[in-house]
Amino acid sequence: MSDLSLLVQMGLGALLALSVYLPLRCGQLSLATPGFYAIGGYVAALLSTRWPALAAAGAGGLYPLPALLLEMVLAVGLAVGLALLIGRPVLKLRGIYLAIATIALVEILRVVNLNAGWSGGAVGIFAIPQPFDGPGGYLVCTALLLALCCWFCARLEQTRLGRAMAAIREDELATRCMGVPTAQVALSAFVLSAAIAALTGVVAAHFLNTWNARQGGFDASITTLAFVVFGGSRTWLGPVLGGLVLTALPELLRPVGDLRLIVFGLVILVGPILAPQGLITPERLAALARAFPARAAGGNGVRR
Amino acid sequence: MSSGVEHLLQVLFNGLASGAVYALFALGYTLVFSVLGVINFAQGALFTLGAYFTYLLIGGAVGSNGALAGFQLPLALPFWLALLLAGAGAAGMGLLVEATAFAPLRQRRAEPLLFLISSLGAGVVIVNGVQLLMGAESYSIPAGSLGRLPAAVLIGGAQVRTVQLLLMAVAAVVLVVLTLWLEGSRLGKALQAVSEDPVTARLLGIDAGAMIRLAFALSGFLAGVAGGLVALSVSIAGPYFGIGFGLKGLGVLVLGGLGSVPGAMLGGLVVGLAEALVPAEFSGYKDGVAYGFLFLVLLLRPRGLLGKATVSKV
Amino acid sequence: MTAPPLLELEGLSRSFGGLVAVNQVSLQVQEGTITGLIGPNGAGKTTLFNLISGLTPPHAGRILWQGAAIGGLPPERVNRLGIARTFQNLRLFGPLSCLDNVLVGLHSADRSPLLAGLLNRPAFRRQQDQLRQRAHELLELLELDRLADQPADSLAYGHRRRLEIARALATGPRLLLLDEPAAGMNPAEKAALADLIERLRQRFNLTVLVIEHHVPLMMRLCDRLAVLNFGQRIAEGTPAEVRSDPLVIEAYLGSQA
Repeated sequence: MSDLSLLVQMGLGALLALSVYLPLRCGQLSLATPGFYAIGGYVAALLSTRWPALAAAGAGGLYPLPALLLEMVLAVGLAVGLALLIGRPVLKLRGIYLAIATIALVEILRVVNLNAGWSGGAVGIFAIPQPFDGPGGYLVCTALLLALCCWFCARLEQTRLGRAMAAIREDELATRCMGVPTAQVALSAFVLSAAIAALTGVVAAHFLNTWNARQGGFDASITTLAFVVFGGSRTWLGPVLGGLVLTALPELLRPVGDLRLIVFGLVILVGPILAPQGLITPERLAALARAFPARAAGGNGVRR
Repeated sequence: MSSGVEHLLQVLFNGLASGAVYALFALGYTLVFSVLGVINFAQGALFTLGAYFTYLLIGGAVGSNGALAGFQLPLALPFWLALLLAGAGAAGMGLLVEATAFAPLRQRRAEPLLFLISSLGAGVVIVNGVQLLMGAESYSIPAGSLGRLPAAVLIGGAQVRTVQLLLMAVAAVVLVVLTLWLEGSRLGKALQAVSEDPVTARLLGIDAGAMIRLAFALSGFLAGVAGGLVALSVSIAGPYFGIGFGLKGLGVLVLGGLGSVPGAMLGGLVVGLAEALVPAEFSGYKDGVAYGFLFLVLLLRPRGLLGKATVSKV
Repeated sequence: MTAPPLLELEGLSRSFGGLVAVNQVSLQVQEGTITGLIGPNGAGKTTLFNLISGLTPPHAGRILWQGAAIGGLPPERVNRLGIARTFQNLRLFGPLSCLDNVLVGLHSADRSPLLAGLLNRPAFRRQQDQLRQRAHELLELLELDRLADQPADSLAYGHRRRLEIARALATGPRLLLLDEPAAGMNPAEKAALADLIERLRQRFNLTVLVIEHHVPLMMRLCDRLAVLNFGQRIAEGTPAEVRSDPLVIEAYLGSQA
């Protein structure tokens, strides 16, 4: 794999980590991200290969960017719709029950994708057209998306929605007693998470050139969760770093050959023990800001 | 007319057998959950390990891909003995998982999420360790391993494979023994005391750490034995095959109600039967049935079928 | 015809398992008064607060807010009607700063649309400045302003109690439910707290319902007292009336004297 491709994958990993982070930010352990990622990928794969208007657009040359944007809009729309539909009943569940229900959801989607006629079954959908002529274009596209999502998460912390999310994570009942409609706040986080996952799926489907039911299963649920826990779940920077590092790790470990997945497992095993709060915590950021005061321009978001 | 009944009976036995596997899995999770309040995600890996141990102990040879290519133990134990030893081996690994992934977090009262991640890491290490040593190919245990027992018996006109009966019997015995033991023995009561109130349990002189290790060893044993039995009844479909079972076992656990032994059993049977009743033309959707069922139950009864509601204190 | 009382409880009951925590309790809280709720431990005082604030639905009886039934409404709706509370066991948002704790209380007052916030529009910034100023005023009133940027869980116990009051006041209540606000304070601090509650009532036109064990403090602070014992209201009246009630003396005051 080329270095640029690895960078693209790292960016996609970071995006997925942000998608897991948002519900977790308000105390909801939702593992539905891979399901919405899969939906995004299928929307892109089906539209670009089966929908005549778009499939023709990609024939012969590069797939037009407006078509890619259209896919993104439709994928986000579908994911948001589904998240709104299932969010209310699902988010009544707490803790491990919510986690299991969302895993069940992901597995249901996977089984449907594996068996339904339109999805290409186990083989999946092939020859998804390319909007860019190399990994460089994907890198720019992924970096832009990641920057957008980071900006979004950073700004969110400054709004009442972000504050309410942080409060719910600490104490949901107390938050409700402060007049905050917590069900609505949690649903917002869930919907935003679905939107980011679907966006990521669209890019990933084109990047991988093929899409099938193996994309976004239970393994993905847990690895993306590991990104967030490893990086730290109390700032948006944590999941981004976790996603970048843990996606790169198996590739960086290529020199150790067959041992690499074992080393990867060991990292996930000892990570929570050595750094229970993750690599990046608000306290460490604050300490950094004190050490380098000149660069700490956006320091007022650090406290949380 | 009778062929219809026979077919139904056949389906029923198939469902009960796979339900028994799920139930054994769920019981393993339950043991750990009831003392620690967390899920051991390495359980699926222990199942894998039990299957491979059983295969090696009956004298099976390693294929050509792993680091141990061509290796074969210089002994060929009877299946029964191999199964028990494999269970013990998985129990030992369960203790190792506890010592590395759980004990350090437990000592600093970390949040449950961290246990989930670190135990998952332990599972990844185990599964990939197996893959490194024995390759990714599938292994199967010869059908004749049950010695003089017939391969199948006829019950009410339905052909039931002996190994399926064995699975059901093991699950039933485990359920009864575990329930009696938890409710009746001093040790079982101590285990329950730790799960309900660790501080008071300590004041009463109960060694919480020992109880937790006991729970891990037992659940590892259950997973290992289940793995060995499934290896015989189906085959070992590569090192990852325990993960899929483990995930479904987790669903079963929640379906029945976390921390409830009869609930784990009931959940296993419900899912096993529901899967068996899926018509052949929709067999691809079989895996979805369990999760669909689980999803609906959670929405209607958030604490599972037999779970107890907890009152949060303000 | 006089206006209905601000809050009225009619035969309110709630049990947990076999235990009847609140049994047929009736109570009227008139606007502008400070009503004290006293009784031994386990008498059902906190359960009564949980019923009023919507955390626990009642099994029987009615809760009337200005004459309208509000029993069974979720806590966020109850709060927006104008009922705010503090918690006996302190339920602050630990890692959040004091300022942010109060800002969460100002959630309903924050009318900026999400998009304006994301884009950091001038209107959004103006509103945030106003909210921040209000939060600082509340912190100042409770003598916490110099701690505004400290995380709540780094505060001393008495400060945390006051931060809970500031957070509750931020929601703009007409009725404030205080659950043992003076717990863990020394006599001087308790006296200061009583003065503070009195000041807050005047400043915000508050009606206060307060649970407290320290009877002399309650005698001084409250206009009315209600006494709970084993989930039942055994007495209600002015502090002087309650003090001389034989039932109360037997159940509660007697054991203290």
